[in-house]
Amino acid sequence: MNGEALAFWALATVLVGSALAVVLTKNLFHAVLWLALGLTGTAGVFLLLDAEFLAAVQLLLYAGGIVTIVVFAIVVTERLVGERLSQTSRHLTAGAVVSIALAWALVSAVWQRPLAIVRAPMAEDLTQIIGDTVQTRFVLPFELLALLMLAGLMGAIYFARPED
Amino acid sequence: MGLQAYLTLAAVVFCIGLFGVITRRNTIGILLGIELMLNSVNINLVAFSRFSGDVTGMIFTVFTICITVTEAALGLAIVILLFRIRRTVIADHLDLLKG
Amino acid sequence: MTDAGLHTLIALLLHALSFLVLAVVFPFRRLGRPAAWFSILCAAGSLVAAGIAWNHGVGTVSRVVWTWLPSGGQTLATVGVLADGESTIMLVLVALIAFLVQLYSIGYLSEEPPASLGRYYAYQALFAFSMMGVVLAPNLLQLFICWELVGLCSYLLIGYWYYKPEAARAAVKAFWTTKAGDVGLAIGIVMLWRQAGTFDLTEMRVLVESGALPVAGLSIITFCIYLGAMGKSAQFPLHVWLPDAMEGPTPVSALIHAATMVTAGVYLLLRLEWLFALTPDVLVIVAWIGAFTALLAAVLACAQDDIKRVLAYSTVSQLGYMMTAIGAGFATAGFFHLLTHGIFKALLFLGAGAVIHAVHSNDLQHMGGLARRMPQTTIVFLIGTLSLAGIPLFGGFLSKEEILGAVWAGGLVGPFALLMLVAFLTAFYMFRVVFLAFFGTRGLKASGYQTTGSGGPALAGSTAGSTAPHSHDVGGGHDHSHVPHDPPISMSLPLWLLALASVAIGLYFMVAGPALPFGPAEPEFEAPGWLMPAAVGVAVAGILLAWLTYQQRTINAASLAAAFGPIRHAALRKFWLDDLFEGLYGRVLLAFSRLIGWIDRYIVDGVLNVVSAWTLTSGDDLRTMQSGRAQDYVYGVAVGLVVVLIWVRLG
Repeated sequence: MNGEALAFWALATVLVGSALAVVLTKNLFHAVLWLALGLTGTAGVFLLLDAEFLAAVQLLLYAGGIVTIVVFAIVVTERLVGERLSQTSRHLTAGAVVSIALAWALVSAVWQRPLAIVRAPMAEDLTQIIGDTVQTRFVLPFELLALLMLAGLMGAIYFARPED
Repeated sequence: MGLQAYLTLAAVVFCIGLFGVITRRNTIGILLGIELMLNSVNINLVAFSRFSGDVTGMIFTVFTICITVTEAALGLAIVILLFRIRRTVIADHLDLLKG
Repeated sequence: MTDAGLHTLIALLLHALSFLVLAVVFPFRRLGRPAAWFSILCAAGSLVAAGIAWNHGVGTVSRVVWTWLPSGGQTLATVGVLADGESTIMLVLVALIAFLVQLYSIGYLSEEPPASLGRYYAYQALFAFSMMGVVLAPNLLQLFICWELVGLCSYLLIGYWYYKPEAARAAVKAFWTTKAGDVGLAIGIVMLWRQAGTFDLTEMRVLVESGALPVAGLSIITFCIYLGAMGKSAQFPLHVWLPDAMEGPTPVSALIHAATMVTAGVYLLLRLEWLFALTPDVLVIVAWIGAFTALLAAVLACAQDDIKRVLAYSTVSQLGYMMTAIGAGFATAGFFHLLTHGIFKALLFLGAGAVIHAVHSNDLQHMGGLARRMPQTTIVFLIGTLSLAGIPLFGGFLSKEEILGAVWAGGLVGPFALLMLVAFLTAFYMFRVVFLAFFGTRGLKASGYQTTGSGGPALAGSTAGSTAPHSHDVGGGHDHSHVPHDPPISMSLPLWLLALASVAIGLYFMVAGPALPFGPAEPEFEAPGWLMPAAVGVAVAGILLAWLTYQQRTINAASLAAAFGPIRHAALRKFWLDDLFEGLYGRVLLAFSRLIGWIDRYIVDGVLNVVSAWTLTSGDDLRTMQSGRAQDYVYGVAVGLVVVLIWVRLG
């Protein structure tokens, strides 16, 4: 097994493990922390796929930004901890069945036909290419995205305004 | 590792996230599940992009991440608002549209 | 169109005109007597036209039709007239009796309020029209329609005095009983159409005579058609309506229940003789039922005290005679008797009407010794009775001989024996009536008129168990001086005409032999030599017995009645047939309809109620699916997605 495979398996274990922890732990705050770990694992996967820029963005925005937001939300609201899993989760069996079934369906669909094993050749400096493409080919979605984020920002501020 | 491995990984994480969305009582817990699902989608995109040599997938991922962030912010704002009004974040209690 | 066709059409339409005028122009109808005379005038014209048609129609066939129901290029049904030897002579009978009865009714119903009289004549006109429609029908569809109209008119005329409950009941009974037979007729006609492809009688006859009509299943068809005849011609067991129909005015009884409507069944079988010839097994049934009916009715007639009931049962008996002849395969003989019987039975009814009119009662016990007061009536009634008994020189003699000969020639020994017995009984009960009513010294009870001679002993044997006589039937009568007398000219003229006709027919055939103006020229069978003396002897024996019992009092009527005790008792109960029908209808039919009602309420409606209740409950249950929680909806989406994926994977 070469280095890449080893790294992949390690990251996969971390990712899946932390995902399971997110959904199964009784303490919500712990769940958030596990999520942070999982998001970091995803960043690692991006690195494995030669997407350095994306790994950086992932770490900045997800692991950094979102987790922070969620922590703030938890602090403002209540009910962090439950004694039993049933206090924090419901319909476990049904959910498990559906999830497992869906997983099986998706995985079997993926493994139906052989897909690429070898990576296609890509440029070395992906960041440069991403930057170029965004500003030329995808400039319109880029601007719209900015608009969207502005709207979201304003909405969030409006929602969270102090009560008058 | 081939493409199928990454796709499998993404599928598994997606389903775990779905499980979280379905089962969690706390609204914020549901949002965490949603984050997992979106993450898995990103992994999918990047994997396809890498194995086919087209950078478009990665750009798509950039956009997705940005939108996800926006959505998370707004979602949490709503949760806070709900908590202010209804004094609860338990999803079971939010059943005004009950038939 | 030839002369015969045209004239039959005129005869038919004159009555239609009379009815339409009387029905539509109600101020005219309400005048009463003028309307009556208008109708009589039309009837006279119709009779003349019928006579001319007969003159031309003998030996020819004239078919005048118009297309009525076109269907896919061909004609499904036509309307018009078919004038041949049989129908023209029957037409003459109908027209003659209709005219005479209408004339007679002016006198008989002289006390009726004008509006009612107008209504009566409107019904009479309609009846004459529909009966002629049956007689002249060129196809079975028109025949059936006119047949039903005849039934309707019978209902209307029997129930003429509708405010009397017995009359109303009798009218409904007549309608229902004949309707039971009519159902069979309708079924038979439709089935026949399916086999033959046509309603038209002429075409069908061609088919039959060329052998193109499949014989399989024909027995059922002819039997169904016979059922219709059974109802109208009062064969057992559908004969029960005829005695009760005597609730109607006597002229109505003379017209409908002697000469015309009841003969429609016999006429139908005559018309379809060539069809029935293909199904000899049905004919055997016809013969046996006919003979049995004849005997049953004759027995019942012996026990009646109401003069009209005697005549009614006599009619049933004679119809049985005619049917037996048809069943033996010689429909012409039956038809011959139909014609002669029509005349002398109408004569007897009208004569009875004169008696009732004079005595104000139907009860034979109230009569007696009328020969002195009503000589004309006595003579004509005697002529009629002799004709009915089958004495030579009078109308009914040869036709009865023909029937007996036909039945013998057809090889039906059983029915023949029955008919001989009936001939004896016929003579007996008719002369019982004659002796009781016109001779003797009885009748001192309600009428109170005086007769010479001493009052005789109570006429035992005529207990009140017989059908109660009524005295309503009288046309109101003159001031109740209670002195019976001969009727006025409007009533006696028809009587004399009929009497003369009866005698004339008798004499003519004595001279000319049994050569009928229609049918085969040569006699179809040879009657055995002993037949004529035997028949006459039997009739004379009946007369003798009646004379001995009721006139000479040699035989005590009471002991005679006691000798036949059980039969007499049963006869007084009409052999429980009425009770049987009533029980059948009242219990069985109504129970059945109650059952159907129950099924409708609880099973049919029950199914619907269950379905609707189930809809409501399942709706309630499905409502819980909408919990209002978004998580559950996500769950639903996930399940759906899984299902779709699995389906795609597997499919």
